[in-house]
Formats: sequence, C-alpha cells, structure tokens
Amino acid sequence: MNESSSYVRHFNWGKLGVISVPYFWFVMLALIPILIVLKISMSEMELTSVSNMVDWSNGWPTVKLNFSSYLFIGGDALYIKTYLSSIKYAFITTLLCLAIGYPFAYFMARSPKHLQPMLLMLIMLPFWTSFLLRIYAWKTLLVSNGVINNILISLHIIDTPLLMMNNSFSLIIGMVYSYLPFMILPLYANLSKLDMRYLEAAADLGTSPFKAFWLITVPLSKAGIIAGSMLVFIPAVGEYVIPELLGGPSTLMIGRVLWDEFFSNNDWPMASAVAVVMILLILVPMAILNKYQAEQAGSKS
Amino acid sequence: MATAPNDEKQSAPKEVLLRVDSLSKIYDGAVKAVDDVSLTVNRGEIFGLLGGSGCGKSTLLRMLAGFETPTKGKIFLEGQDITNLPPHQRPINMMFQSYALFPHLSVWENIAFGLKRDGMPKDEIAERVDKMLSLVQLGKYPKRKPHQLSGGQQQRVALARSLAKRPKLLLLDEPLGALDKKLRETTQLELVNIIEEVGVTCVLVTHDQEEAMTMASRIAVMSEGYFLQVGFPEEVYEIPNSRQVADFIGNVNMFEGVIDEDEPDHVTVNCEDCIQYVGHGISCSPGQLVSVAIRPEKILLSQTKPDDKYNWVEGEIIEIVYFGANSTYHLKLTSGKVIKVQEINTTRELTCWRTWGAKAYAHWNDMAMIVLTQ
Amino acid sequence: MSQVSNRVFAKSWMIGVYAFLYLPIITLIFFSFNDSRLVTVWSHASLRWYGALVNDSDLISAVLLSLEIAFLSALMSVFFGTFSAFALHRYTRFKGRTLLSSMASTPLVMPDVIVGLSLLLMLVSIQHWLGFPQRGLFTILLGHALLGTAYANVVVTSRLREMDIRLEEAAMDLGCKPFQVFKLVTFPLLIPALVSAFLLTFTLSFDDVVLSSFLSGPGYSTMPMVIFSRARLGLNPTINAVATVTIVVVSAAVIASSLYQSHQERKRKREMALAYSNKNS
Repeated sequence: MNESSSYVRHFNWGKLGVISVPYFWFVMLALIPILIVLKISMSEMELTSVSNMVDWSNGWPTVKLNFSSYLFIGGDALYIKTYLSSIKYAFITTLLCLAIGYPFAYFMARSPKHLQPMLLMLIMLPFWTSFLLRIYAWKTLLVSNGVINNILISLHIIDTPLLMMNNSFSLIIGMVYSYLPFMILPLYANLSKLDMRYLEAAADLGTSPFKAFWLITVPLSKAGIIAGSMLVFIPAVGEYVIPELLGGPSTLMIGRVLWDEFFSNNDWPMASAVAVVMILLILVPMAILNKYQAEQAGSKS
Repeated sequence: MATAPNDEKQSAPKEVLLRVDSLSKIYDGAVKAVDDVSLTVNRGEIFGLLGGSGCGKSTLLRMLAGFETPTKGKIFLEGQDITNLPPHQRPINMMFQSYALFPHLSVWENIAFGLKRDGMPKDEIAERVDKMLSLVQLGKYPKRKPHQLSGGQQQRVALARSLAKRPKLLLLDEPLGALDKKLRETTQLELVNIIEEVGVTCVLVTHDQEEAMTMASRIAVMSEGYFLQVGFPEEVYEIPNSRQVADFIGNVNMFEGVIDEDEPDHVTVNCEDCIQYVGHGISCSPGQLVSVAIRPEKILLSQTKPDDKYNWVEGEIIEIVYFGANSTYHLKLTSGKVIKVQEINTTRELTCWRTWGAKAYAHWNDMAMIVLTQ
Repeated sequence: MSQVSNRVFAKSWMIGVYAFLYLPIITLIFFSFNDSRLVTVWSHASLRWYGALVNDSDLISAVLLSLEIAFLSALMSVFFGTFSAFALHRYTRFKGRTLLSSMASTPLVMPDVIVGLSLLLMLVSIQHWLGFPQRGLFTILLGHALLGTAYANVVVTSRLREMDIRLEEAAMDLGCKPFQVFKLVTFPLLIPALVSAFLLTFTLSFDDVVLSSFLSGPGYSTMPMVIFSRARLGLNPTINAVATVTIVVVSAAVIASSLYQSHQERKRKREMALAYSNKNS
C-alpha cells in the first residue's frame, strides 16, 4: 500500500516544518562545510588567512582558481604513495575483518536463540567503551618491552623481543580490532534473518553442507558483506588516531598527512586539497553503500 | 447464510446514510486502485465489500476513513460532503485490521482515547467506557495492556474503541482476519449482535465470502477497482450477474451452450454434454452463446439413468473430496469435462456405491441453474 | 567435517574473536592496579594510580568538560535525529529527499579528519564574517551533534520502520490532530529508541578525539584529547586507571540496560502466553 503519500495532504504545514529543520541542520553542518573545503583547496594561504576566491579589486568580481595545491599533490610522489598505501591498509583491514567476522557472524547467527542477545552485547560492549583507550591498550601489549614480549621471553619461546610495534603489523592489528564490530553487526543482522529452510531444502535436494554454504548462504548474505565492507573500508582510508598511536613514523596514512598539513604546517589550502582528493577516492564506495542502504530501506517498507 | 431481508427492514423507510459518487483513486497517474465506484449505504445496514487482495476494497475503505484522498468523485455522509474532511474531523470510526490497539495504553485508556479528544467531561467518559466494556464483556480487564489479552479479547477492545464515540458510520477492515478459524465463527455472531444492539451502520471489508455472507446485509463484489455486482447475499450467490461473480462466490459448474428454444416460460440450451431445460424465460435470442451455471449442491447423483430428456449427464467418479458433513464428487463426463457435485453425508455408511471409478448420473431440476449472458 | 568437530570449530572461533576483543581491555584493567611506573612489568598490586587520578586536576576538568559536551550534544543529536528520521521515513516523495538522506548518512562513514577539517573551516569563515563563534565548547558541541544526529537518525528510523502505521491512523481516526498523533501515540512509542539514541550519541561524544581536536579552542581540552596527548608521548599508568574507571562505568550501564530490556521482553512474553491460556480455560 502506498502508505506515506496517503494522508500527507492533511499535514502540509507539518511536512514543511518536519523536513526543513533537519534540512537546515545538515546543509549548514554537512554540505556547506564540504563546499568551503572545496573552495579553500583552490585558494592560496595569505599569512593568517586564505585568499579570497572572488576578487573585487577591479570593481567587478573575478574568480581566481588556484590549483597549486592539487598540482603539488599530483607532482609529489610521496603524496601519491601515501594515498596508495592508505588504500592498501584499508583494503587489507577490510579483508581481514571479513575473514574473521564472517565466520563469527555465521556461528553467532546459528548459536542458540537465547544466547544470541548476550553474544551480541559482548560484541557491542567494546564498541561502547572508549576507542582511544582500547588502541592505547594495544600499545601496552605490542611494544618491545610490552606484555606479549615479556610473556614470550619469560616462557623462553623467544630470546629477543619481537618487533610488533610502530610498523604495519601493529597498524593493521589496531585497525582490524577497531573496525571488526562494524563488519560483524551488519553481517549478523543479515545472517540471522536467513531462513534455515533454504539450507534444509538444499540438503534435501542433495547438496553437501559445504556446497550449500557457498551456493546459498554466501549469495544471500551479499548485502551484509557489502555493507560491512564499506563500513570498514571508508573510515579506514582516512583513519588518523590508529596510525598515530600504533603505526609509527614509517607507515604512511593520508589522515596523518592532512592532520600535519593543518596543525603543523598551518597550510589550509593544502589540507583542504588533501581532503578533497580523499573524498574523491571514497566517493565510489560511498555510492555503493548508499545504494545498498536505499535498497534495504525499500525492501523493508 | 444471513436471513432474508426481513419485512421490518423492508417496510421501514430507507434512509441513505452514505453516498459515494463515482469515486476513483489513481496512483502515479496510471494504477487505478478504485475505478469510478458509486454506492449508497442505508442507515442501519451492514454493507460488505468483498474481493480478493488488490481489488481496491481497502483503498475504498481508506478513502471513506479519510486516509486516502480520492483522485475523483465525492463522498457524502447524511447529505454532507465529507470528501475533503481530514480523518479526525469525520464522524466515522474504523476498526483496523489487526486492531492497531495502542500498546502503551491500557484497555480502558484505549477505549477512552477518542472520547478524550472530544473534550468530553471526565465522569461522562468513565460512564461511557464502562458501558462499552460491559457491551463487549471485558469489564474484568480495564487495566490490562493489549499484549496481556488474547486475540479474541483484543478484537473486542478494538470494537469497543471504535464504537465509543458513537460514530455515524463504522468501518470494519477484515475484522476477523487475525483470528483462527474456530474462534472466527463464534466471534462473527458476537460482532453482529453487538453491532445490531448499538444500531450502527457499517461498511465491512473482507476477502472471506463466508464472512461477508454471514455478516453483511448487502454485498458488493469488487474486482480490479470496480463493482461486479451489488446485492443481498442470497442474490449474489443465487443470481450472479456474470460468470466472474458466479466463479468468485462459491463453486460453480459452467456449461457453455447455444440457445435453442426461447419461450416466455422456458428456454433450452444445447450444450455439449446435455440439453439444458431452464424453467423460466430469460431475455435472449435463439442462437446466442450463453453459459449455464449450476452450483454443485444443486446437483444430485444417482446410480440409475434419470427418466428425463433434459438436465442430466453421465460420467465416472474420478475424485471424492470428503469434508465430513458433506462430500464433493468430481465427475468426468464423456466429453472429458469435469463437474463437481456436492452431497450431504446423511448416513454413517462407510461404503456405498459412490466410489472411485463408479459410473454415475448427475441430474438437476429446471430451476437449479442460472443462464449467464456475460 | 563431522557435526561435533564443526561445533568445536565454531566455538573456538567465537572464543578466539572474543579473546581478541577483550584481551587489550583486560590487560589495561589488570595493569591499572600495578604499582610500577612501568606499565607492562608487574611489580605488586596497588591503588597508586587511582590516587594520582584524584589529584590530576587537568584530567578531572577534562572529564567534566567531556560530560557536559556529551550530555548537551546527545540532547541535540536526538532532537535533530528524530526530525530527520521523521522527514525521511514519513515523506517518501519530496524534492531533495535523496540529498537529505545522503547528507544524513555521510557523517557515519566519512573519515573524522575530513568532518573535523570541514566544520572548522566553515566556523572560521563564519567567524571572519560575524566575529563569532569563538572556538570552544560551542564549536565542539556542534561537531559532536552533527555526528550524533547521523547516528540518532539511524536508530530512530529503524524504530519507525517497525512501527505499525495503523496506530497513527487509528489515532487520527479517533479524533487526533496531526500534532496530537505525535504527542499521544508516536512519541510514547518512540521513547525506548530515543533513550538508546541518547546513550549511543552520549558515548560517541564522550569518545571523540579527532573532531574535538579540530574544533576546540585554547583552554578547552576534552578527556580524550588529554589522554591522546599523553598516549602519544608513551605509556602512562594514569591512563590505565582512567580507562578502568571508564570501562567499569560504561560496562555497568550497558549491561544493566540490556538486562533490563531482556527482562521486560521476557515479562511481556509471559504475559502474552498467559492471556492466551486464560482465554481457553
């Protein structure tokens, strides 16, 4: 039934109010800021502020577009390398989250019904407690004189401490650790809705459990896989805190570059240009996620 | 089946309460949910809208309630145009499908909800709610929340809530749809009794023909947004105006044939399997193609060949569907056509001649059938 | 694989993941009771770092600021999130609906650094024009409320989707004007969702370091900002003590609320079963 369009007529005033309040809010805080970033990325830094894009000095407006920041990014191998390595780390993180999270979500969805709320809560609990403190905790575990090395040495498994900190290993551990719940939750939501009768029907028709898993469970959970992967990948590309605390100086992540351009070099146009390029990189994954979410919403109503 | 429209109702002057004038609802400029429907409902009547899912009956009901805006047409209640009145200003209340009881309010508060909106004094509200509770026999549970009630009790709360404001018109959207089969029969009668006690005019939407037949005093059979036939339940069942209605309501055997004799007192139709002798005149002309519809319960089975020229066929029993009280026999005629015959199981014999593969004759009298020209 | 080994595999996989998730947290708590200045070497149990915490005025004022911001931003988030959820769920067709829905979901995934940078640059531009707002509590609040609104929108929307539209129609049918429908039916039914949206956005705000760093001005350091600056310098036992306190408080709240919820759910199911059995007797 066409529920929503039906009695709306009686609500016209309310409709205008209900829509314009969040519209105003998001336009002010989400849309305009991004446009300003775009504008500043094409300006030049002038002492403490940025140059005006529209120049009135001749008595009429002249638009000055300055692409120097972009040219600088495109011409500098380090920037390109940093973007690529951000994507690489985000990609590895996504794959590992999927590899760990998918079986987990699957088993969780198959566990006894009365246990599931508790299992779910145990996944959510770390998510509720401070992200920063949990990343810090990994630092205490991984450093050369950290907990893991101390234990391994005292058990005489190793003689010299393993180098687990300030490299891509610690970075990826931290990222997988932080983003795993974002993978598990949509997958679990999807898998727990999967009708077991499909699998019974497959078994009844002579499919082995292993084959049934690949032929039925995985295709039916595609939506969950896409959502989970995008929810991990997109924020992981721009992650700042984890590489800063666990990555050490050698791991290149674009979030840190942006931070340094802004806070250390005070170069706003450059920081903006870095941000704009980052947005362009995550635009496609964002579109995929939006499409998926729209489909989900559509199928439910 | 409902009792025939009794004399009292017939003789009382019919007062039109609701009039719907060529109402249409078109979605997205193309999908005709309701297509040029007109109807009148008299005061005190229970009017049934019967049809399959997607036939437009719910859309029509929602337009009466005010949840949908008609694309075209007008709705009049007691002669007053209410087409553009929002739902909260219409003196019409609805009993919703699956009840829509407010889960956060008690039974008492649910029933009082509409009265409070009218600004009725508190003591009057209390009095009215108590009256309603005793009407639906829920006086014991005013403080319960809806989830603490059984399905049948929830249904009665929903009824009480929709009656509390004494609406001029009560809309019932699949009122028994959420109940199981056993409960449905008793509830049906309860519901009709209460409605009659209150004397409220009703429009009832249902997909269940039995429900429509038992509850409604008049029925509109709906399909693809328009009315196929409007009439008393027995009219719609016994004198369907088209093949579609005959098919939709109950089971029917159809014989296609050509009019042979066309006399004022009788008609004969030549069909492939037999010659049909219809004991009354109809408006048609010789040579016209018609369908002769016969209900399965109006056919008798016999072992011996009927001593008649007309109205019988010969065949073999190929299927017996046993319902307990009665059985339906599927008879395969020599032409290959299969007809259904329903007989009441009057004896307790487990074996009789009506078995699979048995040869049987089916016959019917000359008033059993209806000739359909469209 | 046999049924039994399957189950063993499933169980060990799950235990492994939980161990991975909880190992750091447990270590953190364990070493908060360590007397040694070295965070990773156990000497003997003491409450030394909790004592240090009580006297750490920087940290305490940061905690108070964080609580204040978290409370206010959660209120704002729930307010605007409810509005946007209503707009998006109720009105399926209006101009710019797609824009609104993408604006509402972008902050969920957009990297924090971009959100922080863009908000700051906007606020600076406004300040250039109008002379306010000064960077500080208000600007942090705006950033957190933006993020929180996106989350609250998701929570409220999913509740609205479950809600039977017929309840609102019934209210209208019984004489409610549109606003009364909201006040008497929709809002009471939304309360549980609003509470969870509040808790979620409160925690998000309490946890945020990146947005706060961009948006705060001199003199306004939130708790995560203080912890972050200390953690960057190296390991610090007071952080363990702070962590333990936070974790205990948050866990207690989360566990209590989920126990309460499951208790309510069970009570409801019992009453429903009872209603049906009474009817038959």
